[in-house]
Parts: sequence; structure tokens; C-alpha cells
Amino acid sequence: MKTKVDFPSINQKEPDGRKPDGTPVRVLVVDDSMFVTKQIGQILTSEGFEVVATAGDGEQGVEKYKELFPNVDLVTMDITMPKMDGVTALEKIMEFDKNAKVVMISALGKQDLVKQSLLLGAKNYIVKPLDRTKVLERVVSSLE
Amino acid sequence: MRVEYINPFVEAAYNVLTEVLATEVKRGNLFLKSATKPVMGVAAIVGLAGEVEGRVLFDMSKATAMKIASVMNSEELTEIDDLVKATISELANMITAQAVTKLHELGFKFDLTPPALITGENMEISDQEVEALIVPMESPHGNIEINVAVRERS
Repeated sequence: MKTKVDFPSINQKEPDGRKPDGTPVRVLVVDDSMFVTKQIGQILTSEGFEVVATAGDGEQGVEKYKELFPNVDLVTMDITMPKMDGVTALEKIMEFDKNAKVVMISALGKQDLVKQSLLLGAKNYIVKPLDRTKVLERVVSSLE
Repeated sequence: MRVEYINPFVEAAYNVLTEVLATEVKRGNLFLKSATKPVMGVAAIVGLAGEVEGRVLFDMSKATAMKIASVMNSEELTEIDDLVKATISELANMITAQAVTKLHELGFKFDLTPPALITGENMEISDQEVEALIVPMESPHGNIEINVAVRERS
């Protein structure tokens, strides 16, 4: 059955995670929680993004960013992590690439650190618990 | 222990559980427990230190932990593996962060430890110095007891 003919697509919207040339937006997820990493990954890949790498602490996050650069378009960065926190990692990434697009992932009650991150160059922030709409909205706006 | 310490945890647990489980959650009756109390099987513990000190325990059975983690991950999880542990730790993190924000607004200053997850059979928790207040939260996936033992630093 030629489904494309019989059932015209009613969802004309392009997935949020594609660039104008159709290739996926490449994301580095930095978070010490396997659960959060998986959750962000599921939400983003369902919209066509590609998670190119994950890191479990800030130090690893900075290393991975340098390794991947310039083949990485976006970073999601947890704030509270072992070894190196997300704010320090953000600072190091911004030093290395002043055009880096970093979205902070924060627990509630970290307003001061979120403010500090935005001043250091983070494009946006998301407060946990995460949900699909919230994540996509903030991530997409940070890419504009 | 002053009840005003436990209310932010109960409110936060209610808010976070309702949101992540997308279901009705009921608050059971608060009760007080003396020195030693059994732990149900999976317990996330978060320490508080500062003007207020003590610990908060999120206690549930293994079956409940697996059901809650399954809902939060949108997949069927049938053993207490790393993903279930990470999920329950994150749940404890989210509830504690919300409660602590409230307590900070009320003027209490203290820091938190990252959650530690304890699993096993026939466990007990003893609080010799501080009495514990417990509020059971009832969800269709099972009950979670919020067990708070904190005091003001003397």
C-alpha cells in the first residue's frame, strides 16, 4: 500500500533537531545522573537531534567538547557534578570557544548559580524535573 | 522536632511525585518514630548540615522503586540496576531541592549532601539524637515514606 498517497501527512512540521541542510544538531550531554542523561537523550533524539557524546562530570565535559570541536553544536550542562561543577566547566568551554551554545540543567534553588552561568555565556537554562516541552523550547531558543 | 521542617518536604514530595508520575498522589498521616525503624528495601538518604542538621530518608519497597523508575523512564524495569538507582537518586534530589528552596526562603541556612542510595533486606535506621517524623505518600505505584530527622544546631 502506498501509504504516502493514501494518508497525507498531517504533521508538516520539521523536527526541531534538524539544521536547515537537514543534518542533525549535534549535542554533548554533561550530567552525572544516568537517568537525566537518558531522559535528555530520549527527548532530543525524538526530535531529530543527535547525542554525539555524554560526560559524567565537568572535567570530562570540557575534554569531550575540545575533542569534538568543531563537530558539536550544543551542550547541555548539569550544575551540580563531582570533580568539576557545571559552572566551572561552562567557563572553561566559553574560554575555549566563545561561540559555544550551552544550556544549563539545574535543580530548583540554584538561582544564583543559574544567574552566574547566564553572565558567563550560557544561552539558557532548564529547571528539573525535565519534561519534553520545556527541554525542546529552551534548547531550540538557545540555537537561534 | 518542629513540624515546620517536615512540611516543605511533604509539599515538595507531593509536587514532584505528581509531576513525574503524572498521577494522583495522596498524603497519609504524619507519625513520629522513636529510636529505630525498619527500612523497606530501597532508601535514598540526603544529609543536611548548617543551622539545621540531620537527614532525610526516602524509603520504599523494591517493587515500588522499580515501578516508579519504570514510569519515570517510560520503560519496564524489572531489577534494581544502575538505571533504577540513578532514577530514585534523582527523584530524591528533585524533592530535596524543592524543599530546601522553601526552607531557605523561611530563613534556614544549610547545605545538602548528594543522595546516597541504600538497598537490601532487613535494614533498620537508628536516630539516637534526633526523633524522626514520617509522612507516607500513597501513589498507585506504591507508597513512599518521607522520613525526616532534623534539628537546629545547638
